[in-house]
Amino acid sequence: MLQESSYLDWNNSFDVLNKAYQLGLFVLVIGPKGTGKTTLVREFAKRKEIKLESINFSLRTRESHLVGTKTLENGSVGFDEGILIKSMKEGGMLYLDEINSAEADVLLRLDEALDDRRQVVLKESTGETIEAKKEWFVVATINPLTHVGTKELPPQIISRFPVRIRLEYPPEDIEFEIIKRHVSGLNTEKVILGIKLANTLRQAAAVEELYYSPSLRETISYAKLLASGTSPKEAANIVFANVYAQWGNVEYQKVSDIITSMFGN
Amino acid sequence: MQTLSLRNDTLIDIATFLVRRWSGKENVTIEISNKTETRTRLHENRVIITPIDRYNGSNFQKYRQFRTSLWYEAMRIKFCKKILSSDHAFGFILNTIETRRIELLGRKVWQGMDEELIFNYSYMWSYRPILSSVYGKARMVEAFYQYFLIGDIKGELQPSHFEKVSRAAEYAKKILDNAIEKNYDTEWLETKIPEILRILDLDALITVPLSVPKRGPGLAVTEQDLVKALSKISKHRENDLGKVDPKSALEGKEIFDEYNVLLDENRKNENIGLGTDIIGIRIPSETSVDETKIYDLDLISNLKAKFREWKTGWKEQHVIAGDEFDAETYIEGNQPFFTDVKKTIKTRIVILLDHSSSISADQLEYKKATLALCEVLSYLKVKFAVYAFNTEQKQVVCWLIKPENMKWNYVAAKRLAQIIANGGTPLAEVYDKMYPILRSKKPDIFLTLSDGEPSDPNAVRSMVKSFKQLGIKMVAIGVGPDTTRATIIASNLKYLGYERTLAVSRINDIPKRVLSVLGGN
Repeated sequence: MLQESSYLDWNNSFDVLNKAYQLGLFVLVIGPKGTGKTTLVREFAKRKEIKLESINFSLRTRESHLVGTKTLENGSVGFDEGILIKSMKEGGMLYLDEINSAEADVLLRLDEALDDRRQVVLKESTGETIEAKKEWFVVATINPLTHVGTKELPPQIISRFPVRIRLEYPPEDIEFEIIKRHVSGLNTEKVILGIKLANTLRQAAAVEELYYSPSLRETISYAKLLASGTSPKEAANIVFANVYAQWGNVEYQKVSDIITSMFGN
Repeated sequence: MQTLSLRNDTLIDIATFLVRRWSGKENVTIEISNKTETRTRLHENRVIITPIDRYNGSNFQKYRQFRTSLWYEAMRIKFCKKILSSDHAFGFILNTIETRRIELLGRKVWQGMDEELIFNYSYMWSYRPILSSVYGKARMVEAFYQYFLIGDIKGELQPSHFEKVSRAAEYAKKILDNAIEKNYDTEWLETKIPEILRILDLDALITVPLSVPKRGPGLAVTEQDLVKALSKISKHRENDLGKVDPKSALEGKEIFDEYNVLLDENRKNENIGLGTDIIGIRIPSETSVDETKIYDLDLISNLKAKFREWKTGWKEQHVIAGDEFDAETYIEGNQPFFTDVKKTIKTRIVILLDHSSSISADQLEYKKATLALCEVLSYLKVKFAVYAFNTEQKQVVCWLIKPENMKWNYVAAKRLAQIIANGGTPLAEVYDKMYPILRSKKPDIFLTLSDGEPSDPNAVRSMVKSFKQLGIKMVAIGVGPDTTRATIIASNLKYLGYERTLAVSRINDIPKRVLSVLGGN
């Protein structure tokens, strides 16, 4: 049943996730963007056939998105349940993406639900207490602090997620395997070059020599462009180099120099 | 079109970036030196490269050779176990074979270098000496080099000698193929060198004269010579590199855009008008400095994380007491209730760093902190200039680390790294040297970081006064080993007429303190 899946579990995260699920422990996935955090969670829910509710946090995410809002319909006040309440009642899986970009008040409300009692008092509505079903499972992801718009997660929130999975960019050969699952009919050598380029840029971004670090999504797009007949150099420029132009000519030129030395005519 | 030649500081920046990326090693530093030939000190992670003006050709062609030499050194860093000295036959021959080995390994990834390699070989051909001008046994070594790497010899060689050279080159090729195929490294190749020496009938310790690209009089290469060499070499290397079009290799269109950006950058950083050296401010010019030592990446990213929110203008409020927050009234009362402001600091600041002997004990920490400060300032896009002063040969020297119009980069870091803490604190003298610059640039804030009282307080007071008359806000930060000491220094500084004085006892707090000065403005 797993054959057609495009997810490649190269560092055993799937197993860890599975154990945490069975033990009822909440999971925190840590890793830079584009390392397949969301794909991992989606894939897990799909294979386990659990209903997945997900929310992507940003500075503008409000409590009401989680808990719900009052509604007025035909003169009577109702309550529109938010995603947190819904998934607690259903006992499905709740996916909190980029939880460390949430505002403090939002996190506070989450904390209430995540502690050992697994319940929320619905002060927005009737004041009833919502208890989560036993099989309720929460997975959250955070980006490393160096990413724009991220904040340090308060320790009490971190402690609600005792199982932590670290996702990094995969090694070259694994990345190639992953790409192969998304794109067919590839020129191996040229794709590997693209991965090497991405890794070079990631390495530079890790020491903040460049402002941006390309993700798996980008290597996959590069491969797709190759498969559609774009020349490697052009594809590399489109996918990897051009983005650096926003930080000025010098930044762009540095990256395009790397590309020039990597791809011949 | 190419009248402007690239200066070393522009080159160092791009060279450091390229070598680090090509080799995949973060802490490599580049030194430009005209004292030796290009070489790499592996254990120091240092590449020493011949200055660009030592190459022949147009400025663009010089840059291409410079860039290719860097690539070779980057590949050596990546693939060589050790690099022997080339001044004896054994090391010279090993390095020759290694050059080809790392080139072949390197171009598996860096295929875009092919044209550049061919181009570089063409010039190399012109730099190599004619065999008849090399005397003694060294001639055989040189002949081997030419025949093995370029596929031909320059000038004449006795037939029996030539036969030896070609046999040695053939053998070298065989072991090289073997090494590439089976992934053997430097040490394996090294065991095969005695055999080559035997074929060439040479002693391992024969001295080989240095061969540096020379710009002798009348040595200019004509275009035709170059084209001839190019087509010869591209033919010789057709088996490894495939077909390379000599014409396109000569043009080097691929990297011309990048070269132009460098030229622009060069022009931007050029000193126009009042030269700093005229008024007694010097620029630290040493390139043989390891600036990686003063990079504290944790400190830098910590600070950046701290100031990130501040940069976007988001403000978080946590109120414990008071009425419950009523969003609706708030929205009604505050129109528009929500504004997303991108905050930028428009304040222009000049920073003067004290490098007197009293900080020499904590010099490294001090440099790390000030470097982190500069990194954050540039991250926040603040317009800033950095100066430093110390004493050299009983004379106070004011150094320019970074002018306002230059971007903060390795070059500036290198400059900061090489200033040695020494001497007293003759602040007034330093101020006097900086006065003409500040008068013309008129920054908003002039900030002095000092760890002691100036040796000439009265003069300082009058200098501070004249800066204030220019409309510059004078700020001083007193750095001390503990709170008490720092406070004493700061309060003493206050008497000198500064508008604001602050005390810092922990060196790592310097960046935060400086930014608070900027933010409060």
